[in-house]
Order: sequence, then C-alpha cells, then structure tokens
Amino acid sequence: MDNQSTTSSIPGYSLTLKWIKNIFSRTIRVSRNVPRHVGFIMDGNRRYARRNHLQVKEGHEAGFFTMSKILELCYESGVECATVYAFSIENFKRSPHEVDALMKLAKDRIRQIVASGEMAEKYGIKVRIIGDLSLLDKELRDDMNNAMEITKNNKRAVLNICFPYTGREEIVHSMQNVVELAQANSDDPKFIIDEQLINANLYTGDQPPLDLLIRTSGMVRLSDFMVWQVSNKGVAIELIDCLWPDFGPLRMAWILLKFVFQKSFSNRNKKMEDEDLDIDFNEEDQDEISIKAKKSA
Amino acid sequence: MDKIQGNTLSRRTGNEPMTHHIPPPAVAVLKGSQLNNNKTKSVKALGASMFMNSNKAKELPHGGEFWGKPMSKLETLLYRTLLVILYISYGLFRYGQYQYNKMKLRILNVIYNPASTPQLIRQDVRKLEKIPKRIAAILEMKPVGFVGGGLKGLLNDGSEIVCWTVSAGIKHLMLYDYDGILQKNVSEFQTEIENKLTQYYGPGNVPNYAIKIPHSNKIYYNNHAEKTDDDENNKKAGKIAIEVSLLSNRDGRETIVDLTKTMADLCSNNELKLSDITLQLVDSELVHLVGKEPDLLLYFGPALDLQGFPPWQIRLTEFYWETDNNEVTYSVFIRGLKQYAGCKINVGK
Repeated sequence: MDNQSTTSSIPGYSLTLKWIKNIFSRTIRVSRNVPRHVGFIMDGNRRYARRNHLQVKEGHEAGFFTMSKILELCYESGVECATVYAFSIENFKRSPHEVDALMKLAKDRIRQIVASGEMAEKYGIKVRIIGDLSLLDKELRDDMNNAMEITKNNKRAVLNICFPYTGREEIVHSMQNVVELAQANSDDPKFIIDEQLINANLYTGDQPPLDLLIRTSGMVRLSDFMVWQVSNKGVAIELIDCLWPDFGPLRMAWILLKFVFQKSFSNRNKKMEDEDLDIDFNEEDQDEISIKAKKSA
Repeated sequence: MDKIQGNTLSRRTGNEPMTHHIPPPAVAVLKGSQLNNNKTKSVKALGASMFMNSNKAKELPHGGEFWGKPMSKLETLLYRTLLVILYISYGLFRYGQYQYNKMKLRILNVIYNPASTPQLIRQDVRKLEKIPKRIAAILEMKPVGFVGGGLKGLLNDGSEIVCWTVSAGIKHLMLYDYDGILQKNVSEFQTEIENKLTQYYGPGNVPNYAIKIPHSNKIYYNNHAEKTDDDENNKKAGKIAIEVSLLSNRDGRETIVDLTKTMADLCSNNELKLSDITLQLVDSELVHLVGKEPDLLLYFGPALDLQGFPPWQIRLTEFYWETDNNEVTYSVFIRGLKQYAGCKINVGK
C-alpha cells in the first residue's frame, strides 16, 4: 500500500497499467492453456528487508503486498487455484520474536480478508488454510476457521494458504486418513488403496493437479513444499533469481506467457503424434487384413 | 487385387493430413532437435499456427469467459489476434534464446572436457569447498534415431555419470529413469560400467562398485569380485568406491501407496495403532525401501521436469539443469557440483 504512492508520479500511470494488465490477462485466457493450479514459494522477504534496511516485519508486509498483486493477475488470467507457502513447520525454529511477528501479520491479514473481503469478494475466492493447524494457538485457529467458513461458498477460484505446512507432513497426514478409511471400510471389498485415494486425501485433494511451481530468491530446492504434487511428471518448475517482494506482475506475466506458449505448442504436437500413431496402426491392420484376404483367396 | 489397390489408396489419403502439419518451431526447440529447425520452416509454422488459431476461434464462438461475462465474438477474435501476436513475438525471442543457449552449451562443453581422465575431474572437484554426499540424476531414453538414443545411448550416459561420480569422490549415486529401463537391463549396464571404468582408470585399477536395485532388493557387485574364489578376502581388500541405486517411477508414489497398504493391514490386525503412523516411521520405512534423500539432483533435459522422482526424497534436494540442454555432458555435472558448493542449506531459518 505504501508502494502505490511511488508509482503514481505520472498521472494516469496506474490506470494505464491496469488497462494493460486486463488486456494481457484476457489474451492469455483465450489460449485455453492457462495453468489451472499454481504453487508459490514466497522466499526472500527477510533478505529484502535486510537489503533495504527495513525491519523483518516490514519485509514480510512487502511480501504480502506482492502476493496480492501476483494473485490478482493469476486469477484474472484464469488460474483456478493458487497455493502459497506462507509458513513452514520448520519456521518455528526461527527467533521467537520473528515467529510472533509472522503470527500477528497472519492474524491481521486474515481478519482483513474476512472484514473487507477485498480480494475474496472481487474475485469470489475461496480461502483455505492448509497444514497442521494444531500447531497454532487457538485464537489464530479460530480466525482461520472463520475465514474459511465465510469464503467457503465462493466458487471462482481457490487460494490455499499453507500455514504451518510441510510436504512430508501432508503425505503422512494423507496416509493416516487413508488407513483410517481402510479400517472404517474393512468389510467393503471394493475399497482399494491406490494413488488416487492418497492424492484425494492430501490437503489439496479436491483441487486440480499442480501445473506450475514458482520459487523466488534463487534457491534451487523445494524446501518441503508440495513434494508429492511437484514430483509428478509434467509439472513446470520456475526458479527465479529475485527476492519475493521484487517479483512483480511483469515477471509473472512473462512466466504465464512462457507456460501458455509451451503448453499450446506441445499439446498440438502430442495430438499430431497420436494421429500419426493411429494411422500407423490402421495401416498395419489393413496389411494384415489384406494378407489374410490373399491367403483365403 | 482390387482390395489391395483400395488399400494403397486409403493409405495415401490417410497419410495426406500429415503433410499439412508443419511442426511449430517451439516444438523443435523443446525437443532439442536441430534437424527441423531452419528459418523458413519456423516462419511457415508460425503462419500455420496463426491459421489454426483463427480457425479455432470460429469453431468456438464462446471462446473465453471473463468473470461470468461472456465475451462477444468480436472481442474473442480481438484477443485471439493479440494472442497470436504475443506468440509470434515470444516465438522469435525463444528462437534467439535457444540459439544463445545452444552456443553457450557448446562453449561450456569445450571448456569442461573430462577426456576420460579421472585426474582432470579430481582437479575440477578439488577447487570446490564442499561436495554432495549423494547425488541423483534423471535420465531419459531418447528415440532410437537420435544421436545417443536408444538403450545403448542410455547405458552409455548412465555409465559416464557413474565414472564422473567415482572420480569426483562421491560415494552414492541414484540413477532414475521413468520406465526403469536401467533396472531391466542390469547385466548390460554392468558391462557398460565395467568398460567405461576401464577406459577411465586402466584395466588394472577398476574401482569397486555396487549396483543396487532397491525395489527388488538386489545388489550386484563388480564382476571380478565374483571371479575370485575367496569372497571374504576380496571384500576386505577392495572397499566399494561407489554405490549406484537404480530407481524408476515404481519407487515413487507407488511405493508410498504400498507402504500405506501395509500399514492399513497391520492396523486391521491390531499390530499397529493409528497414532503410531508418524513422520519418523514413514521416513525410516521409505529410506529403507527407496534410499536416503540425495543432496543434488541433476537433470539433463531442457527444462526441469521431475518425472515422478520419489517425492519423499526431494525435500531439500537441490536441482541443477541447463536450459535447452538435451545431452548428458560433463559440463552439466561439474556445473551442478559448483552450484552446490556455492549454496548454503538452511532448514526453515
């Protein structure tokens, strides 16, 4: 919010930007190859604060501001679901002071979502907080449940906020659920444990499969974020060498364009290959038939 | 006779649509094939893609919806035209980027050339501050017609990586290929490694290695370790310089599913309580079934795609790949190690 004042030195600048953004997102949307589910590892808030001589807290706030801008672009372009890595279970190892500040920030922002419903209402976003919520204090947990309750009927898009989350915990959680289900359905011979079932019991189970993962700050690992989903074949991974608060909509637009371009061309190519295969098979079949016809003759 | 003639006719008509398809440039770029990558073809393809796009627009009048408001035909057409313009400009940029990357890779391959000598690799590695304990590599079998394609190419690539890893002094290597082709051809792979190591170290000094297939729980040792009569002595004399585990898609999600099944069975027999299923238990089981997490994962394709690599094993693994590269080369290997040496790991902090 403080950043807005810096950009509006030229009159009509932000309006023009908005206009360009709208046109871009609609253009991307008609390609029909927009990623359905995007994951973000929002890394670099603290380094950003250090570099700009801000407090760590202000760094996180700048990060939140970036997040809302990026998500706006994504949802307008037709992304159905976004998952952001806000807080790892490992983050509890940070200094108590910072953990407290992060918790407070979360509390404020979630109240903001609930109260003004700014983004949630404009885009009809269903907010879901995923992770091991039992690690949080009760007040925050109530706020989160409240936010989920209020937005649960929104259907346009989903925002998953991973609050105390790790990918491995998610897998174990799903395994526990599945084992419990297996016990409950022990008489049912049709009950089979398979990949689908584990997938459906993940926190992200009822959302479309992940298509694109974006990590900022030049780190080249997943840090335990959605390991099950990302390891799947065909998930595009973008590792960007810039701190999260510096990651602007322009870069996001570039990534979206790249994704859409590659997907629409590779899809077309795949279709062609399939067609070719069909033709080959037909030929063989026909050859066989003709040989048989000859023999019988 | 009539029938056969009819056949050839139908075959011709069947083939005809294929000739209309000009592969778009991006595809050629993605596949890394330089063969169909000349300029006239890319221009043609862009034209074709434009044509296809406008065709599509006609087929689907309700092309896009914008937050509930359906776009009018004219609007859709406008945005489609804009999209084609965006595609063309991105395609042009991509073409330039591809050429630049290929040039860079060619230069890097000249700079980093192991020339089958472990000493050179040693020298490269000695400069690094730290080296990973375990590395993993994702391999792909290329189509038979390509350079380095087919099973032979895959075996060759795999054994090259084994040699580099031994020379770098890294003791654990995971080789992953989606279909488990390496697993199925272990004996061929073993001979190939033997040959390559002989080439690197000379016939007398081939380092001892073990090939492990975690899925079937098998370990294969050096050929000459088996040849001698006294196994005990041999094991004492030659310590294993490298352990290669061969992984496939089967070791990924499916192994987790199997583990869940086993746990469900144990629970129904009251041998395991639901509360006993913890992260620690799952971790120890999966380490036992698949292996420990690698520190560095090398990918030799054009854009990182984990292809179903075991999800449990990529928690803090660093990735390295070169954009637009499509070959297993030493430069990727050593640059991956260099990147690893320059990074610090922090868990959550």
